[in-house]
Amino acid sequence: MKACRVLSIQSHVVRGYVGNKSATFPLQVLGFEVDSINSVQFSNHTGYAHWKGQVLTAEELNVLYEGIKLNNVNHYDYILTGYSRDISFLETVVDIIKELKKANPSLVYVCDPVMGDQGAMYVPENLLPVYKNKVVPLADILTPNQFEAELLTGRKINTEEDAIEVMDLLHKMGPETVVLTSTDLPSKQGDQFLVALGSQKIKKPDGTNTDQKICMDIPKVDAVFVGTGDLFAAMMLAWTHHHPKDLKTACEKTVSVMHHVIKRTITYANEMAGPGKRPTPAQLELRMVQSKADIENPTIVVEAKVLQKSSQ
Amino acid sequence: PSPHPPSLTAMECRVLSIQSHVVRGYVGNKSASFPLQLLGFEVDSINSVQFSNHTGYSHWKGQVLTADELHVLYEGIKLNNVHHYDYVLTGYTRDTSFLEMVVDIVQELKRANPNLVYVCDPVLGDHGSMYVPQNLYPVYKNKVVPVADIITPNQFEAELLTGKNISTEKDAVEVMDLLHAMGPDTVVITSSDLPSRLGDRFLVSLGSQRHVRPDGSRTTQRVRLEVPKVDAVFVGTGDLFAAMLLAWTHHYPTDLKTACEKTFSVMHHVIQRTISYAHELAGPGRRPSPPQLELRMVQSKADIEDPAIVTEATVIS
Repeated sequence: MKACRVLSIQSHVVRGYVGNKSATFPLQVLGFEVDSINSVQFSNHTGYAHWKGQVLTAEELNVLYEGIKLNNVNHYDYILTGYSRDISFLETVVDIIKELKKANPSLVYVCDPVMGDQGAMYVPENLLPVYKNKVVPLADILTPNQFEAELLTGRKINTEEDAIEVMDLLHKMGPETVVLTSTDLPSKQGDQFLVALGSQKIKKPDGTNTDQKICMDIPKVDAVFVGTGDLFAAMMLAWTHHHPKDLKTACEKTVSVMHHVIKRTITYANEMAGPGKRPTPAQLELRMVQSKADIENPTIVVEAKVLQKSSQ
Repeated sequence: PSPHPPSLTAMECRVLSIQSHVVRGYVGNKSASFPLQLLGFEVDSINSVQFSNHTGYSHWKGQVLTADELHVLYEGIKLNNVHHYDYVLTGYTRDTSFLEMVVDIVQELKRANPNLVYVCDPVLGDHGSMYVPQNLYPVYKNKVVPVADIITPNQFEAELLTGKNISTEKDAVEVMDLLHAMGPDTVVITSSDLPSRLGDRFLVSLGSQRHVRPDGSRTTQRVRLEVPKVDAVFVGTGDLFAAMLLAWTHHYPTDLKTACEKTFSVMHHVIQRTISYAHELAGPGRRPSPPQLELRMVQSKADIEDPAIVTEATVIS
């Protein structure tokens, strides 16, 4: 693969797989050079009984970026961001992205606009306007869940048509590629499945625009995983890189990787917990290292359906 | 026992690595984690610093972790009762109180798991001079090395720790025996000025490993390797070396010869790939810059997973 350098600004946990710990290894396994700025260093993710650690301030983030810039190595092909709790930190990230896009206009910013799920926000409310007005407009690839997509557009999703309209609204805000990573929409395959959708705007060689919209039915898993969204965004980065005009394939590979990692994880977690017991957060840590072969070359287990391909 | 290829084994082997983090490049935890993960190890990493890049560039910026903050992170792990490790790995440190906290943590982890193996790169200096504060020396000598199981000093560090100079192979063997007496059962002198049998384009590395036989008697296996010199200054290679020695002694716990051959071979492949690429980037007749000399770690995945042996170790008495 031609040299491809990613700047990932996410959390670091000593133990486990969230944030940069979740994104870095899979991207490196796929041949990407990953520069990582750790926005926090915690012992483990905050779903455990206990967690301890330190956060990076916006000023400290700036200092690190300055170091990169002073050496004239502030040249990236991708930026990747995820969970953030701090407005000034997020705003500094925005400034850095703007500068990096000036240095490389082809830079692709992959953004997971982490704000909440299942109808409730789990970051401070004042992050919403920053995402809406400053972050999403810079993003090229966006991976919101249903709740985040609804928050950003102010529109509810009750039907597939609603989802399509919301994705089009998100395109208008900035990103050419939008993936609704999970929704409550009823799946044709039954209630053991959730529905994910994607939309990509493509410029044809003749200059006209077209878009590809897809949907996927994804098997539900009866467990709470942490770090899966971070892995998803990282793998979307990788597979859209290899399939830049084929969202169907990029999503099939991404969702398939997720499936393999999650299956391996839940099997192991249930083994560790023992029969009839719910696994603990520690036991549910993603089996990342053990999933190397699946990450490198995922067997496709989910087929995406192309919804429409309309020219404008 | 002949090991199966690491990629086919779900090893359940957990390493705690306490080293630097750099945003860009491969030193400290950036150098150690990916290769260990490729080889199937679970790597928990505490970042002792976060810098933009290593300190060999024209500029570097960032923040350091204090001994207290290190303790806080360890407390988090302990409160969740997940402070169970098979290996601890440490490298470059500049701070005595940080190093002393590391020792406390290692001692506690050894109480939790008496089989824990502490792999220690006692980074003090090279080519006759120290490049860490002098007051680290007694901490290494009196507190760190005694709890280490595997150490990877260069010649200067080995001489410093034992107070004995190395001018001959016999000196090196005596120094390694002195180091064994201080604690570690496995010692690898990663590089020395000893004259190589293959000429001046090679440097000499030596290793020594003490075993207790089933009948209770002691034996020591000693090996020597002639390692090709490379005309460049690399940073992070020592960190990669210690990590790979961890991995290969794990797979060959009583066969230091093979463990060293694999480790030195991985180093060779990564370094060759790196120097080729660096020269390409720099252009003909120009010395590559520190950014250009960053290890080609990601590109060396196949060599890390299954290194072709390019250096044979000689067993010496």
